[in-house]
Amino acid sequence: MKRLMSVLLLVSMLVVMAGCGSDTTQSNNEDTSGQEQTAEKDNDTDEQSSKDASIRIINGKIEIDGALQKYAKAYEEQTGVEVIIESIGGGADIGATIKGYFAAGNMPDIFVFGGEGEFLTWEEHMEDLSNETWAEDTAVAYKTPDGKVVGFPYAVEGYGLTYNKDILEAAGVDPSSLTNINAYQEAFEKIEGMKDELGLTAVVSMAAEAGQMYWSTGNHNFGTYLSTGLEQGDTTYIDMLKNGEIDTERMTQYGKFVKMLFDYSDKSTLLSGTYDDQLALWAQGKTAFVHQGNWIDPSLPDYGVEFAMGISPLAFMEEDTDGILADAPSWWAVYNNGEYVQEAKDFLESLATTEAGAQCLVVDAGMISPFQSTTIEPVSPLAINLMGWVQEGKTYSWQWAKMPEGFAMNDLGPVFEAYARGDVDVDGFVELMESAIGTLK
Amino acid sequence: MDINIQRRSSIAIIALGIVSVVVAMILNFGGGQEGYRGYLLIGGLLLCMGGLYVLPTRKHRQIINVLFLLPLLFAFAFTVIIPFVFGVFYSFTDWNGIKFDQFVGLENYITMFTSQDYVYSLLITIVFATINILLVNFVALSLALLCTSKIKGRNFYRAAFFVPNLIGGIVLGYVWQFIFNKVFTSLIEGSMSMLTDPNLAILAIILVSSWQYAGYIMMIYVTGLQGVPRDVLEASSVDGANSLVTLFKIKIPMIANTFTVSIFLTLVNSFKQFDLNLAITNGGPSRILNGFSILSTEFLALNIYKTAISKNQYALGQTKAVVFFILLAIVSLTQVVISKKREVEM
Repeated sequence: MKRLMSVLLLVSMLVVMAGCGSDTTQSNNEDTSGQEQTAEKDNDTDEQSSKDASIRIINGKIEIDGALQKYAKAYEEQTGVEVIIESIGGGADIGATIKGYFAAGNMPDIFVFGGEGEFLTWEEHMEDLSNETWAEDTAVAYKTPDGKVVGFPYAVEGYGLTYNKDILEAAGVDPSSLTNINAYQEAFEKIEGMKDELGLTAVVSMAAEAGQMYWSTGNHNFGTYLSTGLEQGDTTYIDMLKNGEIDTERMTQYGKFVKMLFDYSDKSTLLSGTYDDQLALWAQGKTAFVHQGNWIDPSLPDYGVEFAMGISPLAFMEEDTDGILADAPSWWAVYNNGEYVQEAKDFLESLATTEAGAQCLVVDAGMISPFQSTTIEPVSPLAINLMGWVQEGKTYSWQWAKMPEGFAMNDLGPVFEAYARGDVDVDGFVELMESAIGTLK
Repeated sequence: MDINIQRRSSIAIIALGIVSVVVAMILNFGGGQEGYRGYLLIGGLLLCMGGLYVLPTRKHRQIINVLFLLPLLFAFAFTVIIPFVFGVFYSFTDWNGIKFDQFVGLENYITMFTSQDYVYSLLITIVFATINILLVNFVALSLALLCTSKIKGRNFYRAAFFVPNLIGGIVLGYVWQFIFNKVFTSLIEGSMSMLTDPNLAILAIILVSSWQYAGYIMMIYVTGLQGVPRDVLEASSVDGANSLVTLFKIKIPMIANTFTVSIFLTLVNSFKQFDLNLAITNGGPSRILNGFSILSTEFLALNIYKTAISKNQYALGQTKAVVFFILLAIVSLTQVVISKKREVEM
């Protein structure tokens, strides 16, 4: 009896172990996130035609998930290729997630990457997309140093000081005149003087808290120091930054501009406000400007915004610089070792070149198409305004995306916060910048 | 004769098992994609175990013991031991999360201790942990004394003090961020949020951390206090000891082992503080130190996370994690050894 019991126990234990065991081994080459369909197909592709192919996309922009899902469904009906959209929100963790997928042998066919640092990480796993037709049709595809196209741009985004046109009109400020620091100074003074009349709490809505808003200051705002006034493709200041150097004169001028922005900002929002606080202040008509870009479009209906608006340049110099910072925010790369490289390329091709693809990017996702041949017009207010800037060619590129990873978060963000709090003056700001950037030598 | 056949057949089974495991390994690491290699591996392992089970030997009992421990050892190895060994290994390489090109020796360790942000994180974590351990234990013991006294509705208090511990740290952190930024600033007109000042921001995290954790530690103290024998307390009250004397001369010495557990838990928890840190300040506000503007409330765990994830320096992050482990092990073992000496054996 005792022996029988122990045998029974042993058998049940072995069953349990076999269960655990086979799980672990299979997940090495198969899917861990429960999409077993893909996994099975991995194993017996030989028996099935490419009609049943299934590609997986890691999308880093959670806002456009719905639009992509809709397009993926239509695409599957049309071509028989199943497209699985996996959207991940929230900044830096996407890179870690993709690394996890890679380590588990569960790499998606198309994955998002956000700039030079991530490009260098994934370089050897990216398919060359230079021969795709869309590569010629856009100015913002991601190119390797030797000119190969590896990143598919799915949108153009732009930012500057987004203004409430109704308030500027009431104050008698012409937004098209805001192209240098003196014009801003004058406009800010004028609006500041009419604050009570216009029902404002401050002129600018800006957030410079280092912990959560570093991306707005350390990346976006600092981007104007790196790019404004330069030709497309001119990398003077980003190259200096990478060598640990700054242009003291330009930095001082930039420091004055930032000081002015901070001086005219709502203090509490500036030092402890979140993105939502910052946006709410402006959207409720309590400030004339907000330091954000066209990505705030989808949030505007939540606040019932009805006023007209536009983006004005972060023109920090004495000379006129009439252009806003617009570029592709991130790119999609095709994993070169995947099962369905051609299918993935075809999907991107259709998204870039077909009417339905443009409809998805421009209308459903509310973005600006990065492709010149797209004729569909955007519908949301800032997208329309941004489109105007792009079409007139009055844009500066996002050189800040080439900064070392985590630099804005760990090094630049704190400098802006200290400056906003009044710990340092313009010279102190330049010194802090110099020591922060000096660590990159 | 019978035994011999059994022995031979069981050895044959084990050999067959080993062979299939080896074949499965070769297939896998040779880049094979055959779907059956997993079954081969598991089948081989099962054969080995079966063979060992039927093998007639004097050590039969020990073999059975090990076999029954295997599932646990297996899980422990795969979730703790192997990742740990890999972690130590990676700390000597230039691993970037995907691959490594070369061994760099101690370079990561040198970079780590010469970088200002890490040293600052280390110091600020020690400051935070010290204050937090004292505060949590003081509050928890006070609450526990309250909840074991004859006060009305003490069961309600017990539950109420414990509730904050049931809410996740991230949620709690964002709620408190709102309270610090919005509620407190509107209560005191015109004041700036506590989270904008480097020193007050650390205090803010300490407050929330104590509020969250004191209820949990309180439960441990309550259990300890309930274990103090009633006859000892009665004897002391007959001898005329007042409540203060009872507390210091009887209750606290009697629950010394509870202190060991509580201090150990708070110590480890304070050093590993991550979720509240991430949600309340995420490192901010900034502090100017030596001509650099740095994040003032970035504790060690958050520093490690940011090094690996945000800065994409996985090897350096791993190195910091290894040092973090060693540090934590030393501190907590020392604490346990010291506390153990004070315990009273009943």
